[in-house]
Amino acid sequence: MTGPRIELQNASRWYGNVVAVNAVTCELRAGITGLLGPNGAGKSTVLHLMAGLLAPSDGQVLVDGASAAGHPDMYRTLGLVPERESVHPFLTGYEFVRMNARLQRLADPDASARAAIAMVDMAAAQDRVVSTYSKGMRQRIKIAGAIVHRPTILLLDEPFNGMDPRQRLHMIGLLRTMAAEGCVVLISSHILEELDDLATNVLVMVSGRLAASGHFREIRRLMTDRPHTFTLRSSDDRRLAAALIAEPSVFGVDLTNGGPATSGGLSIRTSDRGAFARALPRRARDAGIRVLELRPTDESLESVFSYLVDR
Amino acid sequence: MSGILDSTVAWLTARQLFVRRRLVAAAIVSLVPAIIALIFRLTHAAGADSSEFVTELYRDIVLGTLLPLVAVVFGSASFGGEIEDGTIVYLLVKPLPRWRVVLSKYAVSTAATIAVMVPAIVLPWLVMGVGAVGAQRMLGFSAAIVIGAAIYSALFVMLGLTTKRGLVAGLLYVVVVEFVLSRQVQGVRSLSVREFMLTIAGTVAPQAIGITPDNVSLATVWVMGGLALVASLAASIRWLRKFELAERL
Repeated sequence: MTGPRIELQNASRWYGNVVAVNAVTCELRAGITGLLGPNGAGKSTVLHLMAGLLAPSDGQVLVDGASAAGHPDMYRTLGLVPERESVHPFLTGYEFVRMNARLQRLADPDASARAAIAMVDMAAAQDRVVSTYSKGMRQRIKIAGAIVHRPTILLLDEPFNGMDPRQRLHMIGLLRTMAAEGCVVLISSHILEELDDLATNVLVMVSGRLAASGHFREIRRLMTDRPHTFTLRSSDDRRLAAALIAEPSVFGVDLTNGGPATSGGLSIRTSDRGAFARALPRRARDAGIRVLELRPTDESLESVFSYLVDR
Repeated sequence: MSGILDSTVAWLTARQLFVRRRLVAAAIVSLVPAIIALIFRLTHAAGADSSEFVTELYRDIVLGTLLPLVAVVFGSASFGGEIEDGTIVYLLVKPLPRWRVVLSKYAVSTAATIAVMVPAIVLPWLVMGVGAVGAQRMLGFSAAIVIGAAIYSALFVMLGLTTKRGLVAGLLYVVVVEFVLSRQVQGVRSLSVREFMLTIAGTVAPQAIGITPDNVSLATVWVMGGLALVASLAASIRWLRKFELAERL
């Protein structure tokens, strides 16, 4: 088979007795793939395995059919944007990108550096020292350094951290162009919305395991259609509970401590967040009850992702 | 540059070593012996016997103190915090074998040490009067400096790479082995880079007064010095080869 590709076959990586990546099998081909998961799920470890910076403790990591670790020549066609912000602070942006070009042994490092800097829209700040850059500027100069040799595989670890919406939009355009030209692009993120309109395929990692993989829309549907839980305080919890249980979108109401009318509140489970949001004010008004507080309880990323695992 | 060293890594290392703060310190260090020599000249009558003074200046101040300090600062900074802050990754994800990274950084660290030490040797020679010091003695100590810088740098690059506090570990080595043990314990002398350098200087300039080349034989210098240098570089290369960029768990 031709074209750039990355394959993980039962790849695991542990540090001492901490398992960071647990038997992950996947295959990446040309196009943009998102690697989604909460912090500490093992996303960076997967990227470092693919970039050959870590050897798998078990299983195989193949880049274009060859083992990733210990093959420096592989980097002629691979680019990595690490998560950590640090770039040699005493270099100017231009010096940093040109250094990357020279280490890649490009024929014309100056021209390549200028081209890469133009692609990330950093020409105006290229002669400033990196230590004066904002977070978003550092991200962009790091990306310029990683694409200066026009790699066919590009791995980006949380690339949108610190970028403003305009910079993000520009970067999306750039990554799309690269993907359209046949490049394997992998973007890790802990925010689902960040990958919206960008990644066609998504891998979801939770606690070192590949929890789900598939088309972006499919993953998003799974994540948004799951049951939601809200806590609510009102002027009369018990009567409001009776009114809400009549709603088809609500499939469970608990009185949090079962006491008198104005007590510790309600816990409500709903299958349809939108319908519940429309029904609640209507029901409360009809019953003459004041809603004092409403808050979602399970919006933390961990619970969103662990829902996918338990599913 | 040749096939062994990488000019881009060398360029980066030079930029790391000569940040402004370190550049100022290096300039001061390279002038210290000349200033001491100047004070000697001003406080002694013309024609006073300066031979012993010059030997002591070269032996104790330049060779015994300044050289190891300069070498430890440059050697431990040659990987300039790259391991700690993760910027080493930009060198590792390149079509460049890791041993070339180590050797390039070692070469720059050695060259920087020698560059700072050259004025420390040459300027006192000029201040004291070319005739008073003698070109041969100056050359003997210069040769010693080159050999000493090569061995020290290999040692301190390794310490900088493999320990969290390379500067502290290097200083500890200098104080314990070079300052205390080798001057008190005869057996440690064949492990002391300072003694190696005195042997070299004494061999190049046998007539110069005050150098005793008989502590450590020249053969010992080549064997032990060569061994220390090669073993340190091999350890550094091995360490960087096995180095893995761990996720902060």
